[in-house]
Amino acid sequence: MSEALNLANNPMLLEVENLAVEFDTYGGVVKAVRGVDFSVEEGKTLAIVGESGCGKSVSVQSMMGLIHMPPGRITSGSARLRGEEVLGRNELNGKEIRGAEISMIFQDPMTSLNPTMTIGDQIAEPLQVHRGLSYRQAFGEAINLLEMSKIPEAAKRAKQFPFEFSGGMLQRAMIAMAISCKPSILIADEPTTALDVTIQAQILDLMQDLQKETGMAIILITHDLGVVARMADEVAVMYAGKIVEHGTVDDVFYRSAHPYTLGLRAAMPNNDPARQHELKPIEGSPPDLFAPPKGCGYCARCPFAMEVCDKHHPQDYFLGDHHFSCCWLHHSDSPTKPEELYFKENS
Amino acid sequence: MGWYIFKRLIQGIITVWFIATATFFAMHSVPGDPLLNDRAVTPAIRANLEAKYGLDQPLLTQYVIYLGNLSRGDFGISFTQENRQVNDIIREHFPVSAILGILAVLFAALGGVLWGSLTALYRNRLPDYIIMFLVILGISVPSFVVAALSQYSLVTLNNAVGQTLLPVAGWGTILHMLVPAMVLGLSTMAYLTRLMRSSMLEVINSDFVRTAKSKGLPPARIFTRHQVRNAILPVITVLGPQIAVITTGGFVVEIVFAIPGLGRFFVEAVQQLDYTVIMGTTVFYGAFLVFMVIVVDVLYGFIDPRVRLK
Repeated sequence: MSEALNLANNPMLLEVENLAVEFDTYGGVVKAVRGVDFSVEEGKTLAIVGESGCGKSVSVQSMMGLIHMPPGRITSGSARLRGEEVLGRNELNGKEIRGAEISMIFQDPMTSLNPTMTIGDQIAEPLQVHRGLSYRQAFGEAINLLEMSKIPEAAKRAKQFPFEFSGGMLQRAMIAMAISCKPSILIADEPTTALDVTIQAQILDLMQDLQKETGMAIILITHDLGVVARMADEVAVMYAGKIVEHGTVDDVFYRSAHPYTLGLRAAMPNNDPARQHELKPIEGSPPDLFAPPKGCGYCARCPFAMEVCDKHHPQDYFLGDHHFSCCWLHHSDSPTKPEELYFKENS
Repeated sequence: MGWYIFKRLIQGIITVWFIATATFFAMHSVPGDPLLNDRAVTPAIRANLEAKYGLDQPLLTQYVIYLGNLSRGDFGISFTQENRQVNDIIREHFPVSAILGILAVLFAALGGVLWGSLTALYRNRLPDYIIMFLVILGISVPSFVVAALSQYSLVTLNNAVGQTLLPVAGWGTILHMLVPAMVLGLSTMAYLTRLMRSSMLEVINSDFVRTAKSKGLPPARIFTRHQVRNAILPVITVLGPQIAVITTGGFVVEIVFAIPGLGRFFVEAVQQLDYTVIMGTTVFYGAFLVFMVIVVDVLYGFIDPRVRLK
């Protein structure tokens, strides 16, 4: 797949291939991520969407070395930053990967910052460790970063503790901390889920502004399709530990080629009175990842499921340079071609 | 902060007054009196003695006199020991108990934080199992057994070496203090280890430690600045009362190691119904405990900024 994506002739900043992660639990082995491929271009935003438990957070956290091992385990796969393997490594060409090359912000800013350290100290930390700045220099830089993140009275705010900040402010501080060492990739793991809607918009704006300024790539993990439409260049739709559809935002939203993407769209509210429709939930629940299905994971909930779906896993069918769908309906022998779905013109 | 400390001190004084009152009435409702132990006291001598000590007065009058003396810091004269002021007893013997107590608390706190962190980091692996087994042992074996066993080991050790490495009993140099302090602090250390372990386990899995890891900080820095600093808060909370418990509860260890601390007087006074010494030591210990709790609360504010402003 990655060869095909590379046809766009753009060198990929980060390429993740066939990543698989398992967890040992008392109930058995959970196959949380079952072979995931994605890639990010410099300065672009990739959104990974999917419902809770589909493995979107685990795949990026395993890449960052943030899952506890044991019980977690990366069973296969590689992640290459500018062509060099980063899985299981801390440094790349003398530069720390975590915090310096790739940094991350999290879902709940209220609990993601150390309650006993000032905001400024926490932002200064990576600068002291990765760039060798003195405490005083790093703290000064932290104030600049807070200003960049549009926090008023940054000098005063830097001396305050997390409990003196609101949720939106804390997420700004998290962003300031994440960009402190000018990383080439910012991973945002549901950055706006814990915030209210007006603050969400501000945080997303801030991320876009900073992306323009610094040219970093963003991997945005979310289950909010509204956020995806606003932020992303490319979208990967994940289900049950696999990517089921991948493409540009327009591909995924206007030329949805996988029944699951279709289901997600039908379940999304919209505020256009002309198109008012009842929200259609996706019936059933995701498959048991203790014993993942042999065939397509979505088969049991899919309105278009065929016999083959249950027995064999489909391959990725390419519908464009970047656009693929992992669904048997795109096989040339498929008996039906539901009109809701997008198909390759000449097939 | 100044206002906060002032408020806590006022609360503390009220608590101490409460302790003094409760002790006073509890003690006087116990059957018998301090003169009962004396040999053949004739009614006339008894009446004289009672008049001298004010025991012939109504209870409430005694209470008022007692509170008046207490507010001036005067605990009175011992009933059973010749010519000794309770203040003198406390002044001479409390420093011994306090030094022993402080050493024991230091030992317990350092050990508790260290072992607790270790067990949490090695959760469900061999070091965890070994240390937690010793912790259960440390909590459940009473201190007089540990004291006797350690004395026995000291004797064996000194005999084996052929000279006195560490003295078996007595008081004077730092060498005298080491073993009793360790024995005295052992159960507290075991308790603090358990506390530190559970609080550390919580912190290890917290979001902010994940953030610290995602920043690429070295493990040592994550440990000291992010994990221990947060996990230590519950340990500090119980440290204040534990200091008082150790300092006042050391009489078993004091007796086994022949240490001239205050604990022995406390126990003897109760046995002999020596009113003034019971009252003096109880109120003094009570005030000491209240004071330590306040000290720890203030200290807490310095470590946890969330407490500081309130």
